[in-house]
Amino acid sequence: MPTPTSAPPHSAPDFLSRLASPDPEIKLKALRDIKNQIIGNRTKKLSFLKLGAVPAVASVLAASLSHSPDDVIHNIVVQSAAVLGSFACGFDAGVRAVLDSASFPHLLRLLSSPDDKVVDAAARSLRMIYQSKLAPKFDFLEAKNMEFLLSLLNSESENVSGLGASIITHSCESGPEQLALCDAGVLKKLINLLGGTLSQRNASLESLAAIFRGNPDVVSKFVEGSKNGSEVVLKCVGSEGVNALTCVSELTKDRNLRTRLLACECLIVIRNTCPGYLQDIGIKMKLVNLLIELLDDPGQVGDDAPSVFSSLITEKEDMQKLAFEANAVNKFCHHLQKNQLNPKRLQGVLLALSDLCAKLESCRLAFLSLKVLNSVTDALTHDSADVRSAACICLRNVTRSIKNLCAGYFMNEMLVIPLVRLLDDPSISVQVAALGAISNVVVDFTTRKSTFVQCGGTKQLVQLSKSMDSTLRLNALWALRNMMFLADDRCKETIILELTASLLASLIAATSTGPEAFPFGMTAPTFQLQVSASVKSLKRSDKVYLIVNLCSFGILTADPEPSIQEQALGFVRNLVDGCAKSIEFIFAEDGIILDAVGRQLQSASKAEIGIQGMYVLGNVASGNEFHKEAVMHQLLPQVDNGTQSFMMKFLQSNDSRLRTAAVWAIVNLTFPACPGAFSRVVKLKNAGIESQIRNMVNDPCLDVKLRARTVLTQSMTFSDGLT
Amino acid sequence: MSLFWIVFRQLAEIEAMATSKKLITREEWEKKLNDVKIRKEDMNKLVMNFLVTEGYVDAAEKFQKESGTEPDIDLATITDRMAVKKAVQCGNVEDAIEKVNDLNPEILDTNPQLFFHLQQQRLIELIRNGKVEEALEFAQEELAPRGEENQSFLEELERTVALLAFEDVSNCPVGELLDISQRLKTASEVNAAILTSQSHEKDPKLPSLLKMLIWAQNQLDEKAAYPRINDLSTAMLEDPAV
Repeated sequence: MPTPTSAPPHSAPDFLSRLASPDPEIKLKALRDIKNQIIGNRTKKLSFLKLGAVPAVASVLAASLSHSPDDVIHNIVVQSAAVLGSFACGFDAGVRAVLDSASFPHLLRLLSSPDDKVVDAAARSLRMIYQSKLAPKFDFLEAKNMEFLLSLLNSESENVSGLGASIITHSCESGPEQLALCDAGVLKKLINLLGGTLSQRNASLESLAAIFRGNPDVVSKFVEGSKNGSEVVLKCVGSEGVNALTCVSELTKDRNLRTRLLACECLIVIRNTCPGYLQDIGIKMKLVNLLIELLDDPGQVGDDAPSVFSSLITEKEDMQKLAFEANAVNKFCHHLQKNQLNPKRLQGVLLALSDLCAKLESCRLAFLSLKVLNSVTDALTHDSADVRSAACICLRNVTRSIKNLCAGYFMNEMLVIPLVRLLDDPSISVQVAALGAISNVVVDFTTRKSTFVQCGGTKQLVQLSKSMDSTLRLNALWALRNMMFLADDRCKETIILELTASLLASLIAATSTGPEAFPFGMTAPTFQLQVSASVKSLKRSDKVYLIVNLCSFGILTADPEPSIQEQALGFVRNLVDGCAKSIEFIFAEDGIILDAVGRQLQSASKAEIGIQGMYVLGNVASGNEFHKEAVMHQLLPQVDNGTQSFMMKFLQSNDSRLRTAAVWAIVNLTFPACPGAFSRVVKLKNAGIESQIRNMVNDPCLDVKLRARTVLTQSMTFSDGLT
Repeated sequence: MSLFWIVFRQLAEIEAMATSKKLITREEWEKKLNDVKIRKEDMNKLVMNFLVTEGYVDAAEKFQKESGTEPDIDLATITDRMAVKKAVQCGNVEDAIEKVNDLNPEILDTNPQLFFHLQQQRLIELIRNGKVEEALEFAQEELAPRGEENQSFLEELERTVALLAFEDVSNCPVGELLDISQRLKTASEVNAAILTSQSHEKDPKLPSLLKMLIWAQNQLDEKAAYPRINDLSTAMLEDPAV
């Protein structure tokens, strides 16, 4: 016999028909039922969303607004606002649906209702929406909007003032916005909210951080302007002559863990924005220890703590050192070994570890000694793209350890195979992160580079060096360049066969491919423009197809990105480093690579390109007679077209690194034991290069000075023959 | 005086210093205590804080009227909170969830652990009432997705579903889930979450004061013998054992 209480739950379409019922009582009941089904339940939210519940509820709300308010109608308004708010709570698909349903303006209108319950319900829902990135941006620079915002912040209701703070947290980004908020007196309101209820306090801390971020003027107004003023400051610190900064510091000791975390975050934003504040060792230690402690919270606070910790130590070696001394590496590694971490926390822990290992070898050694590398490689295959990318970034920084690279510690299949697989990842940011890790791993000083080649890594890198995405191209070339570093000839040959000389030349500099190579008589730039506009919508396989075709059209003439040109030149520099056999690579296909280097040097847009290019020429000039003459040909073109030679330009450069690279090439060209040295010295002299070098014997850069003297000593050997 | 006597006396003194603690008589002690001033308003606030946190709404109202002490929270909210707590204690979890959602829909939407524990309690009640099929369906529909989101939830869910595997649940390893204490645990978790959402401390202050008293007495025990409070319910000063 079926028990009477186990009646089948209402089927979903039933909810919709009840919502559409003309009877307000039935409507109300349906709204309450939906609300109680979806609150806290992501799966239910999704299934109701798919059924179209959001637009249905939105139209109930819209219709009720035009009714004369009685108790039931009033209740319907409250319930539908609550339902919409719950759909928007921590659920982006829900936020999108609510925004699409056009209920946003209705909810805003409800804020001016005379009824507190209605106002509260609307404010809560709007707050949920503003906690999502999808919420519309609020324009603070519009006077009317600012007035509205101030009215929210002034409200007695904690939901309404909290909404005001959430709007700031969500929308305040630019310097002018931060200043406008500050000038409108928002700081004072937010300081007042610091003394309010728990949710007001937390909302205020978040908004303050948003107003401070990157704006030292606002920070100093907050710190200096609040001296001897606010009652709230007095109340929360209990003594006179202190400022609002102390008030925020006090909140790091609050009972509520979220408040503690937000107060830490606010202080970190202040010290990162204004390096003058909060620099003493006491506060630094306090922040490090507090955040490590908060990591232990099993809930959301613990999930968020690692990223706040990262913002404290990232790019700051002194902080990384302090954190290391506070045992942070052990602590984070310990968390890493726990099973089934929440993806957000796992991502945060991996990034925190990567920040710890960014600069300090002591941290990397501690990390490696704790044997958690397996946990990181496991994370490389995690479902979440953010986690995969974080694991790569962590590996990139850990593998900066030269000591362990020398020992060949990282070139093993456990690590390399999953990394190479990630080169095929659907997410570009994961691909880029994987390239970053691979760039370091392949530096490997031992002879084990073959491990990487065998698992198809080189093929993948070459593919990516032809990608439509410039970041991918850059990082792929970077990895190839590092792969070339101290590689043996066999390895070099494999790579260059894969990459082909013509592609390499095209990455370095423009060739003379004419517009006739493009379909429908388009010129190269137009075609490229159209391709890149449409390529975003393409499937991955289509993109690869497109790239292959583009290569055959010869469209990848010169890479438009100077940083990619630099990497390509760096790659060639490593390629031709070593014995004469290595140098031969640059003469493949009638020397198109060398020609491309010459052309690029002629038009080099930044010093780094000149440096890499000159080292290429220097390395080639260390070869045999034929090699040296080829370099001479690049330095002193037969036809003088009236332009200044790049060699003279580089020797006169302000950048000592560029001068060094340029003089090195001359040193190799004038090496006296070679048969053709004499004629080269004469040519260089005639081109005015020797006299330029004479001017450099007292160069402020020691390296340049010594090399310039070497050149002169070498040419002196032939002085008898010179007039 | 011979050397022997000198040594003997010194030894005796050292021994006395090591064993004898300072003795404080009842009279001295009471005199010291009389010098400590406590404000009446502070006492009243502590009492009000206790009544409010523990949810004695009628008593709080009366106390407000008689002592003029303002509660630090709207007394009407206590009634709602107590209704939720009571619903869980009686096993009407669904009713409790609806009440919490009426009070503030954010509480369960932003507190996955509490939401899971309430759903778990619902499952326990279904099992208690022998509604096996319904319990299984509920576990699958409502709780399994939460377990997928969180490993520790999954473990708790497995433990709860294990109740169905035993003939005699009162003697099974997970039997304590059916105990009344499980309901009380869930009820106090909801109570605490509601209090936090109202920016109110989730524990009353009085117990912490008493804890501090015990701690302080233990510290003092090492240095002195004094009239001690051993029975907190009577707060009687008991003569020091000499």
